[in-house]
Amino acid sequence: METVIEKQQVLQRSVPETTIESLKPKVAIDREDRRTVGDLFVKNPRMTCRKVDVYYGDKQAIRDVSLDIGANEVIAMIGPSGCGKSTFIRCLNRMNDTVEGCRVTGEIRLDETDIYDKRMDVVPLRAQVGMVFQKPNPFPKSIFENIAYGVRIHGLANDKTDLEEIVQHSLERAGLWTEVKDRLPQPGTGLSGGQQQRLCIARTIAVNPEVILMDEPCSALDPIATAKIEDLMDELRQKFTIAIVTHSMQQAARVSQRTAYFHLGDLIEVGETDQVFTNPLHPLTEDYITGRFG
Amino acid sequence: MNSATDGLGTKAKTPERPRAIDTVRAGLARRYARERRFRFFGWLAVVVSFVFVAALFASIIASGHQAIWQTRIGLEVDFDPQVIDPEGKRDPAVLSAADYGGLVKRALASVFPEVTARADKRALSDLLSSGAAFELRKKVLEDPGVVGTKQTLWVTASDNVDMLMKGYAERDATGAAAGLQAKQVAWIDRLIQRGQIEKRFNSTFFTGGDSREPELSGIWGATVGSFYTLLVTLFLSFPIGVSAAIYLEEFARKSRWTDLIEVNINNLAAVPSIVFGLLGLAVFINFIGLPRSAPLVGGIVLALMTLPVIIVASRAALKAVPPSIRDGALGIGASKVQTVFHHVVPLAMPGMLTGTIIGMARALGETAPLLMIGMVAFIADTPGGVMDPATGLPVQIYLWADSPERAFMERTSAAIMVLLVFMVLMNSVAIVLRKRFERRW
Repeated sequence: METVIEKQQVLQRSVPETTIESLKPKVAIDREDRRTVGDLFVKNPRMTCRKVDVYYGDKQAIRDVSLDIGANEVIAMIGPSGCGKSTFIRCLNRMNDTVEGCRVTGEIRLDETDIYDKRMDVVPLRAQVGMVFQKPNPFPKSIFENIAYGVRIHGLANDKTDLEEIVQHSLERAGLWTEVKDRLPQPGTGLSGGQQQRLCIARTIAVNPEVILMDEPCSALDPIATAKIEDLMDELRQKFTIAIVTHSMQQAARVSQRTAYFHLGDLIEVGETDQVFTNPLHPLTEDYITGRFG
Repeated sequence: MNSATDGLGTKAKTPERPRAIDTVRAGLARRYARERRFRFFGWLAVVVSFVFVAALFASIIASGHQAIWQTRIGLEVDFDPQVIDPEGKRDPAVLSAADYGGLVKRALASVFPEVTARADKRALSDLLSSGAAFELRKKVLEDPGVVGTKQTLWVTASDNVDMLMKGYAERDATGAAAGLQAKQVAWIDRLIQRGQIEKRFNSTFFTGGDSREPELSGIWGATVGSFYTLLVTLFLSFPIGVSAAIYLEEFARKSRWTDLIEVNINNLAAVPSIVFGLLGLAVFINFIGLPRSAPLVGGIVLALMTLPVIIVASRAALKAVPPSIRDGALGIGASKVQTVFHHVVPLAMPGMLTGTIIGMARALGETAPLLMIGMVAFIADTPGGVMDPATGLPVQIYLWADSPERAFMERTSAAIMVLLVFMVLMNSVAIVLRKRFERRW
């Protein structure tokens, strides 16, 4: 098992260490309590976040989030709209830097390196922590160029054959090769929505990142394209660490090993996906997954 | 509790509403009438503007179309070696210094042998342009072999003859017309009878520089002047404007300073163009000491004037690039500069080019600043570079419009036509660029 989860009690909470089944009846958590419950920390984290606050101007979007992202796991962020899950995921490779007035405090580490350190260079960070966005956003260039661009700017290919190999390999991994191998010089924007999104994933994995962030990658796709991307995630997990934001609880349940539930800027609950969905600790989590709101 | 009862009370009192669809139907006629009214006014606005444009073009073409013709008189010229090259060495210096004026006069006099009085001879030679002698010289210098032969040459007639031939000059009771004595008109009539006077294609108008004589003046000098001026404008305003736009839009952090700069760029766009001319005069000519009347100074001044247009258009083009493209590039680790120059700028380029061309078209038609920096001087030579004295097309139009000769009037209109053709061409290029490089994302 990749993610050995260490049961830890969080932020002065005293949930007795016991089996999941016995947790809920024993400890009634107040609905208004916004402190995080569950298993925030893992044994072999790739990324560690501690006391992260995010502000847009004067408005606080995320309050005091602490969370580990383990190696080779898929962690799903769920929660109602506007709960800050996208904001949080964009902190992990500093994409929030581009947002005017956005301020991040606290500490986010990637393998012991503080990514918000003043000396941190965001270019290698983003090469290491890639991102796939909600709306498929292929470059208005050819399919080949879409994949080759990142490889080229980072100088990852030795020569032209090498570059072609990387492009083919990335498309294969994204499950797109058979569909596009005859039309590589055609524009990437001419593909269907699902193909475009897989092209974006191929573009991201072409530069060999170690962590992939996915911000609702399937929200614009039909169920068949969604299924393809979910299969892909399962496969990519062998090599990459994936953090995914999703609105679909079924998707979170299908693809993730751990799930984090956000509510209005607070991280409410983190835990193994099975536990969060079958036996949530927090009443808010339970409300959400049983469909009482959200 | 009170409010609860109030609420109930109002509810009970609510009158029976008519069926919604009846209310909708009752209002339909008014809605459609409003729509028809709006369509009518829109259509009217289009028609009115079209009528004005058509009237403008019609009046300009009506008064200018004849300028592509020039009256010429066919003369049998005797290239007398005694006059042109007495020593027979065909030395170009000797050939070009010969008395061609005398030859032309002799040729014309041979058509009218009865004219002998001195004053009459002068009146006769006034039918010809002073440029006729130069045409003979040109012929000889091009081909010295003509010396000693007799050739029929169509030489330029004077502007008054041209006006009479084109029907602009009315003959009065005595038979005289504007600028022409009765006997001159009679001579012209005889030339017409003998088929020795004709309207031919006016190549001088397209190849010559300015001249005091309307029949010898052309727009080539002004066109070249405008070309050099616009060249300087383009090379200055495009890189500066686009860089400024890219910096302000993509790199500068929003602050009070950038707001101030933005406001002032918009202010700059609204400054009357003559003020830019004053600036050019004070700074570039008086302070820096650049030459007067030079396309260089004109180009710098017009560049200052065009900059805000380019900056505003370029910023709009950059803003129109969807942020998802930037996110995509940044998300795979492209640096800010790579993101901007590999993805954003290429997508914004058609918009930037369109803005630039429209700015250039405006600069091409600009007159006032050029007047201030001396490009309004009379310059007969075609400029050979950006430091040579020159005028521009609009200034040439202004100068000719100011001239008293009737023949300059049609040339004014013709020059306007040429200017309009350039404008239409530039705007078409802008449209083609926009259509061609328009990308969908």
